Amino acid sequence: MAGPVRIIHYLNQFFGGVGGEEKANAPVEAREGPVGPGRALQLALGDQGTVVATVIGGDNYVVEEQSTAVEALEDAITRFKPDVLVAGPAFDAGRYGLACALMCQAAQAKGVPSVAAMHPENTGVLTLRKELVVVSTGTELAEMQSILARVVPLAVKLGQGQELGPALEEGYLPRGFRRQVIRENTGAERAIDMVEARMAGRPFESEVFRRDFDLVQAPPPVPDLSRATLALISSGGLVPKGNPDRLESGRTTELAHKYSIAGLKEFTVEDWECIHTGFHAGIVNARDTNYVLPLRSMRELEKRGDIGEIYPLFYSTAGNGMAVRAARSIGEGIARELKEAKVDGVVLVAT
Amino acid sequence: MIPLSVGAHRVVQGISVEHVCGEPELSVERDHDLMMRITQAALTALVTKVDAPTLFEPSDEPMKEAVHAS
Repeated sequence: MAGPVRIIHYLNQFFGGVGGEEKANAPVEAREGPVGPGRALQLALGDQGTVVATVIGGDNYVVEEQSTAVEALEDAITRFKPDVLVAGPAFDAGRYGLACALMCQAAQAKGVPSVAAMHPENTGVLTLRKELVVVSTGTELAEMQSILARVVPLAVKLGQGQELGPALEEGYLPRGFRRQVIRENTGAERAIDMVEARMAGRPFESEVFRRDFDLVQAPPPVPDLSRATLALISSGGLVPKGNPDRLESGRTTELAHKYSIAGLKEFTVEDWECIHTGFHAGIVNARDTNYVLPLRSMRELEKRGDIGEIYPLFYSTAGNGMAVRAARSIGEGIARELKEAKVDGVVLVAT
Repeated sequence: MIPLSVGAHRVVQGISVEHVCGEPELSVERDHDLMMRITQAALTALVTKVDAPTLFEPSDEPMKEAVHAS
């Protein structure tokens, strides 16, 4: 469809000029034309689009009175007949980002495509990632022009009813959808190209994303080992011989198994085995199971009084192709139980 | 190495993936001694204050004393 796209711009009370934090409960209102940063948006659009109206909502109001806020947006949609909703930029303001996300979701439910702009770790993204087209921003107001310059092409495309291409090409945050595409080169050829680029110090794009790992603060040291209870954890798939409880040997999502080691001086190859199929367990299973969890040494240290006591259960899982998500929830489950049991520290052996 | 790069704070250097806490090429006696030194490195890690991912290496000499906080 030709002609400039009609845009409704969503802003919070601050950017809409209503007031600061004290006006966070301001109800949703609609005004004709652009307001505040909407003017910069209009400039960036040129004749590709017109900001026909601005919807302004208090950050608390939209999140707390969601249905009323949504109704107000729907009224504005009926009145101003937009082709697309632009929300934000909310930067890293959590309530604002969430409000933008909710407004976009509501607009989409009414058949109006939308694009929001906010920091990738904004609550708005974390909660509604799959449903939104989001332009990534930093945290500084000074970025406004460059953000709007990236929002405009998406707003225009969406407003014209066009389908968006892959996230990285079009400039929005990946939503986790996979679509099949045909490539000209085989995977092997593309991989070699990447290696060559990497070795030559040229930029290249990975096709697989590495998930970000959490940054955790290091716990303080154990104050007195001789009085401490230490627990053992194996991610080597250590189980009683025969794997009676069928611990998954890889890609596991189930919680870790627990086995008693009360009174056990060491693991033996007769009674125990490693069922982790991601490494060659032949050596451990033939020569010395304690390679994968050094119970023998721990018992000696316990006997000598260097350690207070070894927790009578050990946790076993197989860290073979374990998704970060699974590792996180398995770890949290173990930690919760060990804290309740007043365990002071853990020795975890990974393979 | 991997555990350090994903942010694990106290990491003890093991021998290899297939025998983390020992070395089958050694005699049984020396292998057991090696396992003890690796385990003691774990205890050292537990009593050491760290702010960032830190690698702890087992000592070369057999450790005769208990591990104390430093």
